[in-house]
Amino acid sequence: MIRRLQATGLAVVMSVFLAACGGSEQSTSTNETAGTPEVSSIKVGMSGGYYPFTFVEKDQLQGFDVDVWNELSNRLDRPVEFVTAPFSSLFGMLDSERIDTISNQITITEERKKKYNFSDVYVFDGAQITVNANINDINSLEDLKGRTVAVNLGSNFEELLRDFDTNNEITIKTYSAGGIEQEVALGRVDAFIMDRLSAAELIKKSGLPLKQTGEPFEVIENAMPYLRTESSEELRLQVNQALKAMREDGTLAEISQKWFGTDVTSKG
Amino acid sequence: MTELDLSFATDLLLQLVGVLPVTLGMSFLAMALALVLAIFFAIVQIFRIPGLNGFTQLYISFFRGTPLLVQLFLFYYGLPQMFPSMTAISAFQATILGLGLHFAAYMAELIRGAILGVDRSQMEAALSVGMDRLTAMRRIILPQAARIAVPGLMNSFIDLLKSTSLAFTLGVAEIMAKTQLEAASSFRFLESYLVLALVYWVVIMIMTWGQKYTERRLEEAY
Amino acid sequence: MALLELRNLHKAFNGQTVLDGIDLQVQQGEIVVVLGPSGSGKSTMLRCINYLETPDKGTITISDQSVDAESAGKKEILALRRKTSFVFQNYALFKNKTALGNITEALTTVHGIPEQKARKKAMTILEDVGLADRHDAWPSALSGGQQQRVGIGRAMALDANLMLFDEPTSALDPEKVHEVLDLMKKLARQKRTMMVVTHEIPFAREVADRIIFIDGGKIVEMGTPEEILDNPQDPRTRDFLRQVL
Repeated sequence: MIRRLQATGLAVVMSVFLAACGGSEQSTSTNETAGTPEVSSIKVGMSGGYYPFTFVEKDQLQGFDVDVWNELSNRLDRPVEFVTAPFSSLFGMLDSERIDTISNQITITEERKKKYNFSDVYVFDGAQITVNANINDINSLEDLKGRTVAVNLGSNFEELLRDFDTNNEITIKTYSAGGIEQEVALGRVDAFIMDRLSAAELIKKSGLPLKQTGEPFEVIENAMPYLRTESSEELRLQVNQALKAMREDGTLAEISQKWFGTDVTSKG
Repeated sequence: MTELDLSFATDLLLQLVGVLPVTLGMSFLAMALALVLAIFFAIVQIFRIPGLNGFTQLYISFFRGTPLLVQLFLFYYGLPQMFPSMTAISAFQATILGLGLHFAAYMAELIRGAILGVDRSQMEAALSVGMDRLTAMRRIILPQAARIAVPGLMNSFIDLLKSTSLAFTLGVAEIMAKTQLEAASSFRFLESYLVLALVYWVVIMIMTWGQKYTERRLEEAY
Repeated sequence: MALLELRNLHKAFNGQTVLDGIDLQVQQGEIVVVLGPSGSGKSTMLRCINYLETPDKGTITISDQSVDAESAGKKEILALRRKTSFVFQNYALFKNKTALGNITEALTTVHGIPEQKARKKAMTILEDVGLADRHDAWPSALSGGQQQRVGIGRAMALDANLMLFDEPTSALDPEKVHEVLDLMKKLARQKRTMMVVTHEIPFAREVADRIIFIDGGKIVEMGTPEEILDNPQDPRTRDFLRQVL
């Protein structure tokens, strides 16, 4: 009883406070295609720190996923609002319905499929090892045993690595705020696992002494997760339709060419 | 070694100054919330108000006993799963709420100590002229306790201001978040975080001047 | 009818009896000086009258307000307290208020008198106590004697039925005592009802209508200054007077 009262007290304090500073919503970036005011915008979560899919340069959010969504927004005739947050926070935002979906080269996994419905696949990729340029004795997952490997917190590469490393012979370090490429370049960790595409772009852009090694393993299919609610499901189907149209008229391939110099949106 | 990229640093600095109001806004609102709550909790404890006293002790114990980041995640991601209406709280508000509730716990102790540090005869004098206890608190005891509490409260405020950098984990576009994103795309980590550190430092130096001024004002009577 | 009536007042601190059944009546306009050795309970009695200390047992009545210690409510206590004013041994001026602010504070916050009017009244009182020129001084800038005069001014401003003085000169430097006593004599001439706990025998002889001698938490004897000071009946009174005179 007393606990109930105490919880109520806390709730009262909070609601008073919220009423006091309501409406100071922070959104990071809104598309210029913003439509009529009565159409609610689609809130798309992304890290803004994952080159070239989503990144910020000179205060400008851009990248492959950003272009895809601007196009989707045009076709669905609804404005899009990009919400940037650290990758590890994005699923929490989705679950608490603060965003409608995540567009951050999200990989479809069994685990995630249990909880979310995914849009159609819009990027095909593979996982690959990246090491310091002067390391030559790492060429496969097998070679990582006894080494320290970095992955981004909450990414499926962590899961992938743990599934392979059944005897716990690899030291896995997770990072939540980026910087894994720096760690490998500085030699603090031996390698990092990332998808082939973004790793390649990252190496090119950063100019860091890094190289990709071994064959890409594990076909990775990227799509956008949606909650299993009526409105989310409706949005998901609309997005699928628009994606299909974009694939058919070549727009999707065009956007891919712009950022990767190749078409990553269809299977091989 | 690469050279420092000054034009990048200047660009970033201008950007950060642009979003500084977000950081400062969160700081001041959270501080206001924390102060009100802290004074309330301090008074509850001093008067041992039945029912509320137990709640206050539980509250202080919880908010001092768990990391701020955990509390922020709890408010922003955790509670909405149980109470869907809490989704209405934006990241900006959740940060203010989290920081306010968290620092209130620390400041309540500080304010309680300051109130107890005021000479007992001041309360007696206030009662003797016919004030009730709350009026005496408001008019006589708290103003005198303020003088004792200001240096400690200022430390809390500086701590609070720096803690707003955790808001980036909730997706608030404050100076820490901006810096991280620019650093991630430019790979200019040194410049980015140097500029960020400088911005925090300058802001806090200005606060410290403000503190000195306030302390001198409060000291006038003594 | 008496202005103040104490009936069977009891108070103990940690099992140590301090007041052991005090019965007393004070008439309107009467000036009562309370004498007694230290630890006799005289200050405690004074502090019980306005509930700065809570008596364990007994009744306190001031004009039409009666409070029984065993059933005292917050409102009754506040009402009783507002019929008295109190002058402290250590002055206890509000440290965050100027001399003027110390006097206006209760006028504005307790009695709801508008700021301007309160200031005017406070200035008149400061003139009375001879400190008009120091009206904007902080307590820390005033001498002990000046602080106590402000303290008395603060009590005067309340226009309470009964003024209580708890050893008002014992914290003062000897050369400052007379300025405070002079002020109290002035109040006495205005026929305010006063109860004064003090060790100043000459003051008591000059001003008191009645002297009460307390020892061991009981009233030992009382009477006119001549009766008590020149012809004490109880040996305890005689011992005490021999020591202080």
